[in-house]
Amino acid sequence: MRSNIILALSLSIVGASAASALTLNVVATLPELADIASRIGGEHVKIDTLARGTEDIHQVVMRPSLVPKLNKADAVVYLGLTVEHTFLPGLLNVAANPEMREDAVKQCAGPGCIDCSEGVKVLEKPSTLSRSEGEIHPSGNPHYNLDPEEGLTIARNIAAGFSRLDSDHAADYRKNLKVYLAELEAKIVLWRKWAAPLKGVKAVSYHQDVPYLARFTGLEFVGTLEVKPGVAPTPSHLEKLVERMKQDKVALIVREKQFAPKLPGWMAEKTGAKVAVIGTMGKAFPGTDTFIKMSEHNLQALLGAVGKAP
Amino acid sequence: MSRSLSYLLAASLIALPAPPALAQDAPAADTSSLLKDLQQRVLKLEGAPAKSSLNAFNPAIGMALDAAFRDSNDKAAFQFRAAELGLSAPVDPYLKAWVFITGSNGGVGVEEAVLETTALPHNLTARGGRLFASFGRLAHVHDHELPVVERPLSLDSSIGGETQADGLEVSWLAPTDLYLDATFGVYNKMGAENDRQDNLGARTLDEFTYLGRLNTYLDLTDTQNVELGVDAAWTPKRSVTEDIAVTGSANALTTRRNTWRTLSGLDFTYRHQPSGGGLYKGLVWGTEVMQNTERRFGPASRLPTDRVRAYSGYSYVELKTNRGWRGGLMADLTEDQDDPHRLTKTLTAFLTYDVTEFQRLRLTYAEGLVNVPGAVKNHTVAFQWTGLIGKHVHGFRDR
Repeated sequence: MRSNIILALSLSIVGASAASALTLNVVATLPELADIASRIGGEHVKIDTLARGTEDIHQVVMRPSLVPKLNKADAVVYLGLTVEHTFLPGLLNVAANPEMREDAVKQCAGPGCIDCSEGVKVLEKPSTLSRSEGEIHPSGNPHYNLDPEEGLTIARNIAAGFSRLDSDHAADYRKNLKVYLAELEAKIVLWRKWAAPLKGVKAVSYHQDVPYLARFTGLEFVGTLEVKPGVAPTPSHLEKLVERMKQDKVALIVREKQFAPKLPGWMAEKTGAKVAVIGTMGKAFPGTDTFIKMSEHNLQALLGAVGKAP
Repeated sequence: MSRSLSYLLAASLIALPAPPALAQDAPAADTSSLLKDLQQRVLKLEGAPAKSSLNAFNPAIGMALDAAFRDSNDKAAFQFRAAELGLSAPVDPYLKAWVFITGSNGGVGVEEAVLETTALPHNLTARGGRLFASFGRLAHVHDHELPVVERPLSLDSSIGGETQADGLEVSWLAPTDLYLDATFGVYNKMGAENDRQDNLGARTLDEFTYLGRLNTYLDLTDTQNVELGVDAAWTPKRSVTEDIAVTGSANALTTRRNTWRTLSGLDFTYRHQPSGGGLYKGLVWGTEVMQNTERRFGPASRLPTDRVRAYSGYSYVELKTNRGWRGGLMADLTEDQDDPHRLTKTLTAFLTYDVTEFQRLRLTYAEGLVNVPGAVKNHTVAFQWTGLIGKHVHGFRDR
């Protein structure tokens, strides 16, 4: 009897350790990446997230409690194009994980790095690199997570990364990818219909993070409240922007949730344009913890502001 | 069949009359510009232009320029504080390196020149060369990264400027869910302006300085967290060159008994970081207390005096209101290391405006008083202007 108990305990311990060995420990930098990764990885992955979603994507704080997560991770899933430059390289630098090291250009180097930007149709690649142009990103505008179609690219990159790191479950990852792509593609068809009234609508945004959103919706962005990327608005710049908005009959002001409502509100009063508040990451608003919900929320916010709610 | 077709096509092309020269030039020009355009687009798609020269392996370069205007007790001056050149790059798959060369009114010097491993097992990281030892909370921070214009007196008194040290450090990250980092270091000495030892010449093992530090962190809530550090730097023995005229000693270089020195520290940081605030909103409360215990040496005689225990420390609160503005107060208490009854109290108010991520303006007002009869208050106003060019990274230690 006693030997049976010991045998059972031993088997359960071996089984438990084998099961944990078969699970990929994944850290995603952003909530919507964690969502897609969980969909692709299914039961084979355990996922942690670095950003909460309510921050400015460029200003996620390097909390030391994030270091152990990266230390134990088999993979880190990140948006790339240096959008996580304020936190990911710094955390990787101290995480002492040989599978993923900080990299000055790509943020992450090593077999555990899954860069979701591979294959993205990158917009706004700078023709010249100078800080006189503000906080520009050398590889191009990194906010492609606001284009629902790039969700397909993100999912494919994650599936490829998981398959590379865990080839035993590659078939499962492919199967999960297929299911997710089908779901997202169906949504995209629907959202294209929703977005039709936005085509040609002139707009301004607070930060230069909307070109991919514009590519999907057809919105025409004519300026930003920031003087240049990362350079705070000045009174003279805002007055010129108000004039331009009046001339161009700009109907929409897009405020990313992390920016205070005061200035966009003032602009709206001066111009009669409506303000739409969007999230630049999943979980920016309650109930937007998935890529699909984030994309849908943003579209609804834009449509609501121009009086064309779906 | 296909080969026959190819021959036929080739023969037809040869047989075709050559187009007029003018007509030939125009398409060629078009093709050339088209190719050029395509090449540009391909280069953009592939990121940076192909780097074919050895310069492609040059390190990343950045520079911090730090200037100030300082008025102390109605005497003012412009100060060129520093131009700090930083270079960094991987050395090979196992090592990276960085160098900071600083030029100031005091001359040009190598502030840091560090080799750091990137592939040691068991969560270990080793760094060596000239480095800023991991003592305390602010002591290893470069001058222009401090929350105030002037380095707190407690740090200057206990450490001697930044924790610059020639030596070796090993850090270990505990493989736990709790962040726990342990560092052990051995150095010639710690502190750029620490004149108890120098970096020249050899010494016995008990004349090095040994450091141990533990650092941990806890999330209290989603928006509040604390960080705690405890450390000690121990130098077992100290040699001095005695003044023969005073001591009559035959050997000028002597080691007296019981000359060990311990600098211990405890630091605590509370941060309130609203979830939507990012790097530029919230509140930081940082406190550090140090205890220095050693036998001091008479400045004239070079003879050891009694063992003295002196405390020093600072506490500051910084409120970050938005992307541009932050400000706060710092209180610093520093006991004189020769005479602990002699206490200097400094209160500093500081206001910072980050014009952009790369340009900063800072205004501080500091009031200092030594608790000796007849002492007068010292008033200092400083306005600092800092700019960063080239490479700029957000380091974990500077968070």
